[in-house]
Amino acid sequence: MTTARQWSGEAIEAALAAQGIALAPGRGERLARGLQALLDASASDRLRDALPFDAEPPGFLLAIQRCKAR
Amino acid sequence: MSDPALLSLAQAAQAVRAGRLSPDELTHASRARIECWQPRLNAFVALASEDRAPGPGALSGVPLAHKDMFYRAGRVSSCGSKILRDSVASETSTALARLDQAGAQDIGRLNMSEFAYGPTGHNEHWGDCCNPWNADYITGGSSSGAGAAVAARLVFGALGSDTGGSVRLPAAACGVSGLKTTWGRVSRHGAMPLSASLDTIGPLARTAEDCALMLGAIAGHDARDPLCAREPVPDYAALLGERASLKIALSSAWIERDADPEVAAATLAAAAVLRASGATLVEVPPPDVDALSTQCMVVMQSEASAQHARWMRERPGDYSSAVRARLEAGYAIPATVYLEALRARAAWLERFCATTLAGADLYLLPGLAIRVPTRAQTGPQGGAGMPRLLAEVTRLTRWVNYLGVPALVVPCGFDSSGLPISVQFVGRPFAEARLLAAGHAFQRETDWHQRVPV
Repeated sequence: MTTARQWSGEAIEAALAAQGIALAPGRGERLARGLQALLDASASDRLRDALPFDAEPPGFLLAIQRCKAR
Repeated sequence: MSDPALLSLAQAAQAVRAGRLSPDELTHASRARIECWQPRLNAFVALASEDRAPGPGALSGVPLAHKDMFYRAGRVSSCGSKILRDSVASETSTALARLDQAGAQDIGRLNMSEFAYGPTGHNEHWGDCCNPWNADYITGGSSSGAGAAVAARLVFGALGSDTGGSVRLPAAACGVSGLKTTWGRVSRHGAMPLSASLDTIGPLARTAEDCALMLGAIAGHDARDPLCAREPVPDYAALLGERASLKIALSSAWIERDADPEVAAATLAAAAVLRASGATLVEVPPPDVDALSTQCMVVMQSEASAQHARWMRERPGDYSSAVRARLEAGYAIPATVYLEALRARAAWLERFCATTLAGADLYLLPGLAIRVPTRAQTGPQGGAGMPRLLAEVTRLTRWVNYLGVPALVVPCGFDSSGLPISVQFVGRPFAEARLLAAGHAFQRETDWHQRVPV
């Protein structure tokens, strides 16, 4: 599962610093809590975990065509 | 004739075509109301200094104004930001060009949330936009000025963008009609990007019929937007009368359990009105709006943060603290989580169409599950409960963007504080005509859309 790791404030600060993004003081801890909640919620999506191996993002365009109003 | 500014867009356009009103009279009426209301609302960030001679077309001479993120060559588009405060566009957006072609007047630029990344209408760079029904309350965002200006009858319609509810929330909070279009229905060329997988453009206007007229003008393929669909554009206005066979899915018990009691009562009353006018109602299990909203958040935060990466590295202090915090969150989302959210999107859409809609034309639910909150409750001083309240504001809109489907919000009542309540219709991809027909049928039987703030 993608979110086995528990994010910490320090890890967030390091991840953003590696991308050149400077965090305001004290933001790392708060961001870590929010990110962990989002990742946990995403990981609990059972439909996502049941996807066939060959499901790809552009498949959404075909789904729109299949589902459109007749 | 009484104040022409109080006409609907359809009535105003018809009056110009019939020679009963001149474009100058309409523009004068709009400008007179703007002069009166602007100090209370802060709906406009700029007014056009002069009016163009209107061309012929379905919207000839009708005054409109648009969220300040639709570029017009030679004109500033601030996108509600400090960073682009003086940014002059080099080309005109396809949506504005098509409205020009339809003869509409563009009389100004409307306030919005900074970079369209906020659901309330707060803006620390340009000032908050205020709700015309009570200035202490939010307009909803991010198309805040569009909701306020249309509700106060300052303009006959406005373009907004909707990435997580930014057309529907202002429409709901201000008591007007707002259409989130199918992803790819309207070209995004020349409109500020936020999240390419979710961004859509749509109208806010006084009635579903007005939305149909505006959509008819702006919809259709555009080679300059690589994600714009080639789907044919129906005559939305001509299809408004198709209401006899409407089949509407809803989840009454879920609405009663999850929405504010006043909101639930007004929403279910709206369903009853549609049933009385010939629609069939069918009860279905609710979609998993929380799971869908989560995936929408993953996609939106990842894409918005990537879009803003250069400015977040070079000038983070030029963002408001709220928008900077939202953007910071996106940089720590793993690429695999983002791509998994996109991989799952097709399966979620197919499940919604097969399970929730099944044989129905549309799914009915509130536009906003809670009563419209105040600016103080949702602003920088909102306190510990503020994040939860903001999540509630977008709870019933954001999931729709993940699915890419269209949704229409129309007013269906007022709460005990005098703020609007709205109902939302969600349809299949490219089912805008059915949603507009449902909205039109509802507005033929009710007068909530005719109420005007004083």
